[in-house]
Amino acid sequence: MILYLLSIVLLVLLAPILLSYIKATKMVLLFKRPISIFQGYRNFAKLMHKETIISKETSAITSYAPFLVLSPLIVTMFFLPPIVVGSYYVSFVDAFTITGLISLSTFFLMLLGLDSASAFGGMGSSREAFISALVEPAMVLTIFSVSLMAGNLGVGQAGVNLAEHFPKEHMASFLFAGISFFILLIAENGRIPVDNPETHLELTMVHEAMILDLTGVYLAIIESAASIKFIIFASLFASLFMPFGLEFSAPIAILIFIVKLFIIATAVALLEVNTAKLRLFKIPNLLGLAIVFAFLSLITFYVLGA
Amino acid sequence: MFIFDTLSLVFVALILFGAIPNIFYSTGYLPHIQRKTHYQLHYFAFIFSMIGVVVSANALVFLFFWELMSLTSWQLILTEAKEKSTIEAARFYFIMTHFGFVFLLLFFLIITDGNLDIDFASMKLIASHFAYPTLLFFFLLLGFLSKAGAVPLHVWLPYAHPAAPSPVSALMSGVMLKVAIYGMFRFLFDVLYPWPLEWGITILTLGALSSLIGVLYALSEHDIKALLANHSIENIGIILIGFGMGMIFDTLGLYTLSTFAFIAALFHTFNHMSFKSLLFMSAGAVLHQTHTKNMEKYGGLIKVMPITALAFLIAAISISALPPSNGFLSEWMIFQSMLSSSHIDNISLKLAIPFAIFALAMTGGLAIACFVKAYGITFLGLHRSTNAKHAHEVNFWMKSGMVLMAFVVLSLMLFTPFYIEWFDKVLVGLGRNSVYGQIFPNGIWNMHSVGINGGIVSPLILFISLLGVTALMMFAYKVFGVKTRVHNAWACGYKTSAKTQYTATGFAGPIRRFFNWLYKPDEHFEKQTIAGHETKFSSSSYEVHVKPLFEKVFYRSVAKAVNFMSYWVYRLAHFEQTRYSAMIFNIMLIVLFSYRVFSNEFSWATFVLEFIVMMISVKILIIGDRK
Repeated sequence: MILYLLSIVLLVLLAPILLSYIKATKMVLLFKRPISIFQGYRNFAKLMHKETIISKETSAITSYAPFLVLSPLIVTMFFLPPIVVGSYYVSFVDAFTITGLISLSTFFLMLLGLDSASAFGGMGSSREAFISALVEPAMVLTIFSVSLMAGNLGVGQAGVNLAEHFPKEHMASFLFAGISFFILLIAENGRIPVDNPETHLELTMVHEAMILDLTGVYLAIIESAASIKFIIFASLFASLFMPFGLEFSAPIAILIFIVKLFIIATAVALLEVNTAKLRLFKIPNLLGLAIVFAFLSLITFYVLGA
Repeated sequence: MFIFDTLSLVFVALILFGAIPNIFYSTGYLPHIQRKTHYQLHYFAFIFSMIGVVVSANALVFLFFWELMSLTSWQLILTEAKEKSTIEAARFYFIMTHFGFVFLLLFFLIITDGNLDIDFASMKLIASHFAYPTLLFFFLLLGFLSKAGAVPLHVWLPYAHPAAPSPVSALMSGVMLKVAIYGMFRFLFDVLYPWPLEWGITILTLGALSSLIGVLYALSEHDIKALLANHSIENIGIILIGFGMGMIFDTLGLYTLSTFAFIAALFHTFNHMSFKSLLFMSAGAVLHQTHTKNMEKYGGLIKVMPITALAFLIAAISISALPPSNGFLSEWMIFQSMLSSSHIDNISLKLAIPFAIFALAMTGGLAIACFVKAYGITFLGLHRSTNAKHAHEVNFWMKSGMVLMAFVVLSLMLFTPFYIEWFDKVLVGLGRNSVYGQIFPNGIWNMHSVGINGGIVSPLILFISLLGVTALMMFAYKVFGVKTRVHNAWACGYKTSAKTQYTATGFAGPIRRFFNWLYKPDEHFEKQTIAGHETKFSSSSYEVHVKPLFEKVFYRSVAKAVNFMSYWVYRLAHFEQTRYSAMIFNIMLIVLFSYRVFSNEFSWATFVLEFIVMMISVKILIIGDRK
């Protein structure tokens, strides 16, 4: 139980570091002087000290929504697969619930965008609604396919099962599901081919546009929600698609898990440096690819058993 | 004459849950209506007839109450018949509902052998001896689904529901559609029982199509009540997906899974009743205050109508299937029953079901987009018109109706195990084994899927933990005592005004553009440019109308064909006497010539000769000279 709580706290603490790490890696690759990987914390501390400015046009939604954006993600943190063998974990919560919790968070984020009556917020919400509507089917199908291979619909249990018996005989469908999930990881977290997290050009903004009106503590909450969302997806990817190294003793297993997270972050950073952002109306092609891979994974599993 | 088994009683409960808050709401709405006696009479007759349908035990009583339900609701649509469109919508509804009635009548005439007051058991006996059970199934499908509003018989919903007064739309969409679902349960279980596999697949396909098409048309809609009506199509689709999965599992002998899927369908039926009624009530409250159904004229109503806004938010979360709402729980059950399809041996069926999963997941995603649009444009931001500025909270009775309905929604969420136990009893009453013990094996906290290694959800734990975490954070925020300042929104140096906001049309823009092939939108873009500059203009207007594809294909073209035929019938009716005798002569020729065919003396040479003779005779004697 202590290990369980400890791992959750660790992941929450790691979340801002991971995002700063991606940014730092990108800066190194672009021959810029990199930011510290603790920049996330500095930003958080700075925002916590600021006063909150609420725009005149907003309603009660603005004062509740930031909390409702963060809380489903925090609840989701408790349902992730274990990172060490023997640690307590919630075995039963299935993918559909986790997808639902993430959608709940997105739902309030989109309302937040529309609340301030500015054109930016509406634009961001509209685009986010478009993207997340297409992400949902791919997500459900991918996790369905993985849980078939793992033999359990519960995400926690699936992670454990995969670690115990790696499905070598289903490698093909496993790989397809992995590709699909990686695309979803990028799309849901607003990374480069889908959305540019560092942009200041309104034409390209999605996530940043929705939160343009927030300052101070509210902004800090939303920023931490974004980083927690990334760590949720990264650790799901690590547990479901890199299921090894759990059987070592606790400190080594945790270390291996953190290394896996950094590998994923590096992959994302490399992808960001090497690709250009897609036009909004090209994004369905990318997400369509994720859907196709999810179907392929299911079909290979059913028909070929591979 | 009447039957009070568990199925009937559960549906009576559904009607009462839907109708009692509605009566409160209707009381508050009454001052708005001019023909009060007409309205009250039909309103209560409508509720009474719906209860009559679900408790009737023979065909005659069933058909009587069914027709009474159709006629009273038709009159209720006509309560405020000021606009021409209302009369047209009522006429459309009248035709569609009687289209379905014809098939129901045919169904009953066959399965009762013309003796309309026999009970269900004897109907089953007759039906089992009937040579073409699939014909009966299709009669049933056309009869009930034209009422429930499944694709392609859904076209009347977006016209009829907005035209009715708001309490009636809530009742029609929330409750009346469910009476048709009752009919499916009653007659498929009690009369047509052993189902071929194809029936289940038909219902599953119709459900998946309805859910996707309903939500896609809802997204492109600006009329708030038409938007909700399109969502009814979507939700009926979801119910049918559950129902179809149940039928498929039953045919394949997976009885536990089948019962689970039917419970999911029943649960979603209840959930849709609750949140759709609530949505129509709060949309009606908005409409009552702003006197327009156009969403682009709302905005900022949360500031002046907080209770309505809260009610709409609860219902919107529930209909978007977001946890921990009741809508999420029933969609979760339907998903679980589809995910259990890996137990099916038939490989082609097994490969087909992921497409239904895809449809349902896509529907969920689009429903979220649609309700962000509906809620955000209606209640958030700045007032988009003077009507919205002068709106205020509705009267006590309407508010109490909404609050009561919100309690129904919350009770479905909090007391899920209790309701599931009811639905389980319904299925036991229909001759199944109880699965309640498998859904809630240890206490009420965890809800299990009955499939092997199925998923588990814990509605109460989710609800409590979400509430707890949010409350904790808000408490911390209060304790920190963060300074708060109110200031103008930053809009790049310009001032925010009602016109700088995103519109509903704009919000759905990306999705409309992606589904262009389906919508085929009719766009009008005009701008007054200044001195020929492409980018400088003094005024511009953009309008977009989505063409309903199904209406065009199945209804307008049928109407065209009928029109064409009636023209010829008209010509026929206005012939001269000489032409009538010429026609009789030609008919005699056909009879004489076709005699050869029936007596097996057919040869192509004589056939061609006779055909030419016929043509000449028709041309000269009947058609004559064109003037």
